[in-house]
Amino acid sequence: MKYLKAFTLMVVAFALLVPAAVMARGIDPVVSTEWLDKNLADQKLVIVDIRKVEEYQEGHVPGAINIFYNIWAPGKDDIQNELPADDDLKDTLSANGIAADSKVVVVGKTDTPPDKVNVTRVALTLIYAGVNDVAVLDGGFNKWTADGKKVSTDAVKPKEKAYKGKFNKGLFIKREDVAAKIGKAVIVDTREPAFYSGEKKLDFVARPGHVKGAVNLPTVSQIFNADSTYKPMAELQALAVKAVGEDKAKEIIVYCDSGRVASAWWYLLREALGYTDVKLYDGSAQDWAKDANLPVEP
Amino acid sequence: MDTGLLASDPHLSKGCRSCHRGNEAGATKEEAHAGMDKRPSDNLATCSPCHKKASANYSKSLHYTSLGQRQGVIPRFSKAEVKLFDEKVFQQSCRSCHASCGSCHVKSPPVMGISLGLIRGHKFIKKDEGKTCAFCHGGRVYPEYTGEYGGSTDVHYQKGMMCVDCHKKVELHGDGTKYLTKQDVKDRPKCTNCHKTIKSDTLRTRVAHDTHRGKVSCYGCHTSGQYRNCYTCHKESVSKPGFILGKNPRNPNEVTTLRVVPTVRDSFARAGIKQEHFDKVPNYWNTPAHKIKKRTDRTRSCDICHSEKKDFLTRETLLKDGSRANQGLIHVPKPITH
Repeated sequence: MKYLKAFTLMVVAFALLVPAAVMARGIDPVVSTEWLDKNLADQKLVIVDIRKVEEYQEGHVPGAINIFYNIWAPGKDDIQNELPADDDLKDTLSANGIAADSKVVVVGKTDTPPDKVNVTRVALTLIYAGVNDVAVLDGGFNKWTADGKKVSTDAVKPKEKAYKGKFNKGLFIKREDVAAKIGKAVIVDTREPAFYSGEKKLDFVARPGHVKGAVNLPTVSQIFNADSTYKPMAELQALAVKAVGEDKAKEIIVYCDSGRVASAWWYLLREALGYTDVKLYDGSAQDWAKDANLPVEP
Repeated sequence: MDTGLLASDPHLSKGCRSCHRGNEAGATKEEAHAGMDKRPSDNLATCSPCHKKASANYSKSLHYTSLGQRQGVIPRFSKAEVKLFDEKVFQQSCRSCHASCGSCHVKSPPVMGISLGLIRGHKFIKKDEGKTCAFCHGGRVYPEYTGEYGGSTDVHYQKGMMCVDCHKKVELHGDGTKYLTKQDVKDRPKCTNCHKTIKSDTLRTRVAHDTHRGKVSCYGCHTSGQYRNCYTCHKESVSKPGFILGKNPRNPNEVTTLRVVPTVRDSFARAGIKQEHFDKVPNYWNTPAHKIKKRTDRTRSCDICHSEKKDFLTRETLLKDGSRANQGLIHVPKPITH
């Protein structure tokens, strides 16, 4: 009886500490190479390798299918990293046998800063399409090989299955809606401080600086360890609280230059740290800076 | 070098000297490398004793002869200019770009003096398109194909297909005929080699294919977005993306995707070639843009072409100071009347 009480208390404490969204998941948002290695035989598991075809052909996690990053985040006109059209996305999921109840682990590489955040951009697109049990492999394929895990060169031909998931339309926010949210929602610029301050800018962004009122929560320099694995969740939580506060229900809008880097904080905030209303401004600074009437600071 | 490879690969069993020459008895690196040939397969005689047919065919293939580049520009020249071009430009410039056997099977080809080096530690490989084809064709074709240049990924890359899945060995090695242009080569890829019939439950799709067959190329509708166009190449090296529809210069009855040809009026001025017949051929060629997608703006809406006339070449959008022949490529789509 004493043990039962203690067990019940532990369950209640865990439920209070771990956010509801995380608890509802059938897979942790970030999985280790050890975890993946042990779960390769899980029938519900779909491992999606987002590296280029030729990289996949040279070696991949056994059983992984290959769907290159750009398929998940094509450019449209002059805007980079956009969502594919819903019917195209449905075709991709169907052709690769991914169902709404699949447990998908996204595997990328970590050679460059964009590589490190590609996995979360893909995870975001999967969640948008209605696949809820999505994880990213911590440290990517680089860590998988560094850990001496088995590598396969057998190309996996997925079994086609019509995708029937329900799309989550509320995960993204457009330029005009961002403008209306200034002073109401927490707008988070996830670029490095020099870009936030306007000291630097990328060529494809028309004006330097950040959206009026945005706070800075850098991504690439803040969230990764030296081996490109994520820093401990407690550390990430502390960074998040400092920037966006403790209110998990507060509306948060994240952006970067083109909607790729910001996906990392979008994913961590919503999927790992329990913030329930996190949206991505997909057009990001590339889109915002085009309209000279929209306010930019400093 | 991997000693296991030395033992297992018949190419290496006769020692380095059999291909690279040099002096195996040399005591120092300098002595050993005296007379060494860094790119032995530039001379096809190195490979031909064992690969007789492939070498003979390859000696006539466009990848080796580079004749396609010559044929592309000489219609702009007078007879005297063609002679000048052959003497001053072709051998030194175009021909320097030819691919040797080793460029595809041993060491990534050098582009602008830069090579990725040995493909797999001097192993002789059958193919590795990402390190070979992609390097020479990395300015336009390959990044378009993967989608890294912008826009979406070609549907064939999405399916895991690489270059040699469509461009067969016989096309790359040659079939023993000395072709002047790639248009003449037999066994080139055609969409209809695989897509023999249009299977669709949608009436609109079937009607669209029936209506446009023979009038619009597959690329005309199924190219998904902008591709690279060298507007001022060989001049300012500026490249801009674009999407251009117009009449196929090689088949005026067909509308297709066009790409700007990197030749302007003074491209060969340094060689003393004025291009006396510059206006005989257009500055656009039909292009098989490697950005194929099932659904595009044009497959989603007939109005894009028939009402908005989006991306069609017009008098206003023609290249400034371009060839007069460019005007013949303008096509104005008719409105749909029913």
